[in-house]
Amino acid sequence: MGTVMEPAATAGDTGIQTVVTKVRDRARAMPDTVAMREKRYGIWQDITWGHYYEQVELVGHALLALGVEEGDRVAVHSENRPEWLYGDLGTNAIRAITMGLYPTNPAAEVRYLLQDSGSKVLIAEDQEQVDKAIEVEADCPDLKTIVYLEPRGVRDYDHPKLMSWDDFIALGVEHRDRDRDAVERLIASAESSDIATLIYTSGTTGPPKGAMLTHGNVSFAMHTLIEGGGFYDPAPGPKDVILSYLPLCHVAERAATTWTNAEAGVTVHFAESIETVQVNLREVQPTLFFAVPRIWEKMQAGIFIKMNAASPLKKLVYKAGMGLANKIGDEMVANDGAHTPLTRVLYAIGYPFVFRALRDRVGLRKVRAAGSGAAPIAPEVLKFFFGIGVPIHEIYGMTENAAVATVNRRGRVKLGTVGEPQPGIGFRLDEETGEILTKHPGVFAGYWNKPDKTQETFTDDGWLRTGDVGEWVDGTHIKIVDRIKDIIITAGGKNISPSEIENSLKTSPFIKEAVVIGDKKPYLTALIGIELDTVGDWAQRRKLPYTTYRDLSEKPEVLELIQKSIIKTNDKFARVENIRKFRMMPKELDHEDGEMTATQKVKRSALHEIFGPLVEDMYGNTTEHAGGDLSEVHSGTRPTADDEAEVA
Amino acid sequence: MTEQSDRTPTGKTPIATSSRATLRGRPMLYTEYARDQALLNTPSKRLWTALLVITMFAMPFLPFITRSGLSDMTRLMALAIGAIGLNLVTGYAGQVSLGHAFFVGIGAFTGAALGGSPTTNVVGYELDLLIWLPAAGLVAGLVGLILAPLAARVRGLYLAILTLGLVFIGEHIFKEMVFISGGQGVGRRGPSPSILGFELYVPHEILGIQFVREAPFFYFVLILLIVMGVLARNLARSKMGRAFAAVRDRDIAAEVMGVPLLQTKVVAFGISSFYGGVCGALLAVAFGQLTPENFGGLGGLLLSVQFLAIILIGGVATISGPIIGASFVVLMPRLVQAYAGSIPFVGSGSLLSVQQLEGILFGVLIVLFLVLEPRGLFGLWLRVRNYWKAWPFSY
Repeated sequence: MGTVMEPAATAGDTGIQTVVTKVRDRARAMPDTVAMREKRYGIWQDITWGHYYEQVELVGHALLALGVEEGDRVAVHSENRPEWLYGDLGTNAIRAITMGLYPTNPAAEVRYLLQDSGSKVLIAEDQEQVDKAIEVEADCPDLKTIVYLEPRGVRDYDHPKLMSWDDFIALGVEHRDRDRDAVERLIASAESSDIATLIYTSGTTGPPKGAMLTHGNVSFAMHTLIEGGGFYDPAPGPKDVILSYLPLCHVAERAATTWTNAEAGVTVHFAESIETVQVNLREVQPTLFFAVPRIWEKMQAGIFIKMNAASPLKKLVYKAGMGLANKIGDEMVANDGAHTPLTRVLYAIGYPFVFRALRDRVGLRKVRAAGSGAAPIAPEVLKFFFGIGVPIHEIYGMTENAAVATVNRRGRVKLGTVGEPQPGIGFRLDEETGEILTKHPGVFAGYWNKPDKTQETFTDDGWLRTGDVGEWVDGTHIKIVDRIKDIIITAGGKNISPSEIENSLKTSPFIKEAVVIGDKKPYLTALIGIELDTVGDWAQRRKLPYTTYRDLSEKPEVLELIQKSIIKTNDKFARVENIRKFRMMPKELDHEDGEMTATQKVKRSALHEIFGPLVEDMYGNTTEHAGGDLSEVHSGTRPTADDEAEVA
Repeated sequence: MTEQSDRTPTGKTPIATSSRATLRGRPMLYTEYARDQALLNTPSKRLWTALLVITMFAMPFLPFITRSGLSDMTRLMALAIGAIGLNLVTGYAGQVSLGHAFFVGIGAFTGAALGGSPTTNVVGYELDLLIWLPAAGLVAGLVGLILAPLAARVRGLYLAILTLGLVFIGEHIFKEMVFISGGQGVGRRGPSPSILGFELYVPHEILGIQFVREAPFFYFVLILLIVMGVLARNLARSKMGRAFAAVRDRDIAAEVMGVPLLQTKVVAFGISSFYGGVCGALLAVAFGQLTPENFGGLGGLLLSVQFLAIILIGGVATISGPIIGASFVVLMPRLVQAYAGSIPFVGSGSLLSVQQLEGILFGVLIVLFLVLEPRGLFGLWLRVRNYWKAWPFSY
């Protein structure tokens, strides 16, 4: 406990408030308080605010020593770790612009991103990222220096542009000794129109575009989302604990980690890697947790799988607990996500038997507020987590408006909607198309080097086009219909939102990916990708032998399983929106192969190309590929070795 | 790895108190190695251990504990110390020893000779416990070290036979060294325990509290058990303990990994014999009268087997296991005696005598444990614990 001093503005500081000044003020007010922890050599090592800001300053000095000037771009290509934040804020401190790359970005995308942004310095995490950079370095004339964080494997590289993080920081120390106030002066001269960061859109269509967010945008976002409780409600404070694991180059995680940390003083814990998130979550037991729907779904599926394998007594208790959870979930959904006396009593009954232990095992025992965003989430998943006492609030926003648009407020939740517009922002629907338009100080300054694209994104009177079609629910909440360009117009002239159907399909624990097809076609069809974990587990318990993902996908039993899910979904929709046929995708979709974006969003256009034969198979009334329609299934002609090679 | 030379080293800089709040209620969030490696790393472990220790210290004052019950407890703890020693060499290092009774015997007679009183046919130096108890351990340990290189050359069944031989050599030596052991069938009195003039085997009144005759020695053995148990536990999780386990799991692989085979086995035997010697000297006090037949020949073989039974029933390669096993071996006969009357076919003149029932139960239990739960009673506890630890999952 104890009172935590609020950072007081130190006399003599001029200029605007930025993320950097917020960290600086915390470092001055409480240098020995832990700002973040990073797991290294088996334990969580404390990093204090004092150390944090010192590193930020040193990065600033080092960048100055490397000749980085105001407005230059510095790229960071790393998993989440403290150095990401040092690099980001150090860059902002000297009025340069940070650009983040996804660790999964393949070399070709790295080339494009480095070229497009014209980055001068690249901070690359390890050998994997350094190799990508060296491969494309010749095509990126602006790139002067590559700083690597992990010397393992890179130490012996002989490349003139390479520099280790230690040398980089040493350069900073040297520069600081020469010109102690250089960074301070630049911090003070920052203006709110300075571009703080380029956040590249994931690019489901066409190449990624770098959205320019200014300090003004970021300040507004921090004010609305964090201080105003628009992200987590009630607003976070220094006693809150978070786990940072989603890519920091995405606006959502930047808000959840860097901005929340700076604005509210929460203690950030960096997950060791994306594979260890489950373990780290159990260790850290965060109080605030933001995840994309995919993670929530996986968590739920994990619970189901593990419970299936539990001993009979445990299953019995769990079943009873889930009975309670269902009731609690239903009741809370009916009551706008708030507890009623009944749900409180039910929860108190279930807590000692199931809920406490269950939440502890998955690492959500201390979560007081959770968020889901970046993609639509199935209401069933939300209800499940409501039931076990984890209130997930859906939030909607996009890079271009600094993630400030709508949120489901505590006690005012409507399932299936993305909530109410954030207070005090301009928000409306286009009269004709229903497209969501926003206008507020968080709306970005435009796309980097793409004035034409920027112009397309704004209406004539300066409103941001989000590209999402929405509709009002009860006059207060917004429901997202679909991306405007994804809407299917069938040959019969019907407008259909594929994502609604896809999300309904994806509520089945067995379906990981569903892509609904039918633009200019007589009826709807779907490409289905199975969830390997759950279907594999299901097959194992039925003693169904299988070898590969493709083999499992094409089992007649699995096809029937998928068929059942599709029929169940069809019941929820009008006849014209029913899926008549489906085919199985023979491989798991992957970022590397260009089927998905770095944020795991399906690239529809790419899929149509890659799986063209499957689509033709459905509309050509042939049964060459594994799939089925509503009455029967077929395994397709057995793939020859050539086919396998072709797909792989 | 980037060496974070300028990073705040853990524990050196005072971390503001508000940072501690983010650790509370997060038992798996380790920020220090010390906490990660702590033996009692969870609040519930600390609570239960404290309760157990308090109960043990209150034992002499519990109304249902008789004086003979108290000496049973003392004998139990002495046996536990010996069994912990055997578990180091057999459980951790995988060297099956049937000769543990030999080392226990060496400790017993060393203790008796140095701490006991002289008679016409035996020597006795009436030394302080602080001298004869460590000496008993050291002499046994030294003999263990001398014999270890021989034992290190063989393994498995051959090692069992070799160590079995020790028991019979021991019988001969104990019988022949009449001036120490009192000779065959005669024996001698055990040492009388006193520390710096403070007698441990007489009634005392301290601060107005009455202690029965058995109480001071009971406390002494209890404290010794805790100390030697913690030492063994720490040894088992140190570099040496890991070397023991490597040798146990596959000696050739261990050697390939750079674990010196001979050295590791010798150390294991030495330490194990030291524990055996200490156990023997304590037993000498508890028995009061000891003969060569207690520790050599068939009697010795039975004692060795009893030690093996303790670690098998309690739990191989654990420290708590031998304590649980010793409790079982000592207390089970008392339970059988107490309830023999209510079991049909048991009692004098019936189908089975109480001793026969004891023997049968003992044998059956060893067989059952070997077949059903090789990790012993401790393994049963682990199962119970893991059942709740994973709740509501099963893994």
